[in-house]
Amino acid sequence: MVMELEYDRSLYGKEHEAGPFEVTKEMIQAFSQSIGETGAVFNDESAAQTAGYRGVVAPPTLCTLYVRRVELPDINLNFGKTRFHAGQRVQSKAPIVAGDFLTASSHLKEVYPKTGRSGTMVFIVWETTFRNQDGVVVADVQESYAARE
Amino acid sequence: MTQQNMPYFEDVELGDEIGPLQKVAADDQVVGFCQLWGNPMPNRFTDAAIAAKANLPGPILPGVMSMALMSQLLTQWGGPGALKDLDLVFRQPVPHDQPLNIAATVTDTRQENGENLVECDILMTGAAGERYVGGTALLSLPSKSQ
Repeated sequence: MVMELEYDRSLYGKEHEAGPFEVTKEMIQAFSQSIGETGAVFNDESAAQTAGYRGVVAPPTLCTLYVRRVELPDINLNFGKTRFHAGQRVQSKAPIVAGDFLTASSHLKEVYPKTGRSGTMVFIVWETTFRNQDGVVVADVQESYAARE
Repeated sequence: MTQQNMPYFEDVELGDEIGPLQKVAADDQVVGFCQLWGNPMPNRFTDAAIAAKANLPGPILPGVMSMALMSQLLTQWGGPGALKDLDLVFRQPVPHDQPLNIAATVTDTRQENGENLVECDILMTGAAGERYVGGTALLSLPSKSQ
């Protein structure tokens, strides 16, 4: 049986934007420190420049910190009492380095039910595209939230 | 030329193991991460009482922090610019101050649109074998012929 979900389908095709966010050397270094990342290009400016980068390189998932700075509307899903962060995907397209300014643009990608041993859950997937100051797409991030009965 | 100890595409075979990388996320690291993230504190990631109200056994790692830890395995192995795609499912809450084992297995190698691609399954487990976070990753490696 196909499950009929009720939610605000008018959100499809709408972009929600935020930024620009400055990526500073200090922020990258603090991010690296918080996860115990000791790679030279992620911490040291001269090492990054020797490796051919303009500045200290952001670890590939740093942009995920900015996703929740985009104000997203409630999709008014008529399912589930609890929601949790079920998954995340980062597709890196180009390096992010200290001194970059990122803008974020998010849209509702899909809403779908899935039934497993623990019952039915509905997944809500938002996709955010990050561009740098030159308009270059540097990363796409998908965040999935699961609603459970 | 690859950086020291980083593999060329031709060196990689199906079934190769990457890692393991062993990590422990200390309380102060999680607090530091949440400060950068801009998540108001205290929260279920930093406070035992708030975590208990959410039916959690203790403060947990944010999913984005688990992802950052897992990406390290891949950047350490393939180089800082190798990771193209990391797609993860958060299966169980990840605790603070506990050993975390991160490992990957190569599931495919292919050349596509001029890139030398390596696909792998990646998993974060706990000391008792808990499967906290799992997923797939895609990396682009240099070739000896380039």
